[in-house]
Amino acid sequence: MLRLNNIEVTYLNVIRVLHGVSLEVADGAIIALLGANGAGKTTTLQAISGLLHTVEGEVTDGSIEWDGERTDKRSAQDISKLGIVQALEGRRVFGHLTAEENLMVGAHHRSRAAAREDLEMVYHYFPRLKDVRHNTGGYLSGGEQQMLVIGRAMMAAPKLMMLDEPSLGLAPMLVEEIYEIINRFNSEQKTSVLLVEQNVRIALSISHYGYIMENGRAVLDGTAEFLSNNEDVKEFYMGLSAVGKKKSYRAIKHYKRRKRWL
Amino acid sequence: MAEFLQYSITGVTVGMIYALIGLSFALIWKSSGVANLALGGLVLIFSWIFYAMLVQVGLPLWLSLIVVLILALAFGWLIERFCLRPLIAQPILSLITVTLGLEFFLEGLAVFIWPEMVAGLPPLFPIEPLKIGPAVVSQAYVWAAVISLILFGILTLYFRYHKMGIAMRATADDQLAVQACGIPVTSIFSTSWMLACVVSAIAGILISSISGLTHGLVETGLKAFSVVILGGLDSFIGCIVAGPIIGLAENLGSGWLTPIVGWGGLKDVIPFIIIIVVLFIKPYGLFGEVRIERI
Repeated sequence: MLRLNNIEVTYLNVIRVLHGVSLEVADGAIIALLGANGAGKTTTLQAISGLLHTVEGEVTDGSIEWDGERTDKRSAQDISKLGIVQALEGRRVFGHLTAEENLMVGAHHRSRAAAREDLEMVYHYFPRLKDVRHNTGGYLSGGEQQMLVIGRAMMAAPKLMMLDEPSLGLAPMLVEEIYEIINRFNSEQKTSVLLVEQNVRIALSISHYGYIMENGRAVLDGTAEFLSNNEDVKEFYMGLSAVGKKKSYRAIKHYKRRKRWL
Repeated sequence: MAEFLQYSITGVTVGMIYALIGLSFALIWKSSGVANLALGGLVLIFSWIFYAMLVQVGLPLWLSLIVVLILALAFGWLIERFCLRPLIAQPILSLITVTLGLEFFLEGLAVFIWPEMVAGLPPLFPIEPLKIGPAVVSQAYVWAAVISLILFGILTLYFRYHKMGIAMRATADDQLAVQACGIPVTSIFSTSWMLACVVSAIAGILISSISGLTHGLVETGLKAFSVVILGGLDSFIGCIVAGPIIGLAENLGSGWLTPIVGWGGLKDVIPFIIIIVVLFIKPYGLFGEVRIERI
């Protein structure tokens, strides 16, 4: 169980980007973290995984707890040993390594036998990776690279897997395929998933609970069902009008809807 | 003909040692993208330390070897920890400049501690020469080549199959992603520096057992640069191919071609002419990693 209590994150000691974010990831749940660009979603993930230290950021207030233990001052390496792993945004595969080597890097801290086993597991979830396992990572297609990045996170046998925009730049069919796999992985392996996403519709379709972030704050949270029926979410994140249909340009409003959470 | 063969064999074997020094460059380049300009200095200092242990202190051969290797490990760790780590996340040029400073420091240090300039190592290998066809070659050359090849094999296997080696290659591609996998990049960097120092130490010992111990050994660093540029900066196989090419060009140039052409400077120029020609045709070097760009 991961709990963020009112954390503030400051970059370079001056630029404050999170102003008190609280969230909870229950064991085995899929939690969506939604919001526009610059809302602080990636920063939240980096604060959890400890990568924040390498980008000159710091948790200046509040606390991050994993199973009751504080982790916000720990190094990325220690945190990864607790079973928290982050898959970076933007398909960052190791371009000169083969697909299989890419996966093996994910299992760096684990025994050879365990890694072999998990390799089979990843190939089971992403059969396509098995076909391209000896190909160079940099030359894989976008979808394969995204699968590779998620697979690499799976190789660490995580208790909490954080995925940063797995749908970025992928065709809708691939997005659905990947999300279906994430969902299956979560229900079969009981791994919690914290999902950062701009594609609100698909993210809410598999998650149990969600948070909406704006300007460094979590402004709204609720079950996936609650969020997808919320009128503000529909209007501002799904492009639907209040009634839930596609927006019609005939009925276009010349005033801007005011967000209820402000 | 016998002369030609002789020069070829010595050229190839000396080239193997250049390849070894080049390997030490490639090790660091592969994992951290830093061009280590302190190669010559490292080779120099470790050969003199070896001399100090073997001759000045009078330790047996195996013990001096072990001492030098342990010192090389420690030295690599120290360099990374105190010269390069404070500069992490700074422009890569600053890191390269630090290695250049290190080069001058090591050179000065060697002259300071061992002002005698020239020293003789006792022969490390059996002295009776080998006859290969009509050519007569001293055993030291052959042993040096064999040891270089073995080290090359070990390092290649390490980088290909060992998880630390794979992680080192991954670090060259994307440091943040490596950290996201829970691998501290700092430990990767210090491992690569430690390995590189060990390799340069061995290369230094081999080359000084062949051509004597002077402060001119720094120049082997320069030779190794021509090797890595020719072979492709990050390629092990490139080193092992380019090393003998450079050694061959140099030795044939000095011993065989110079009397014919009658120009003494030819020896030093030939390797560079080869490099220029090769780089025109293959800008990444013979075996350099082509930058991957998906279109």
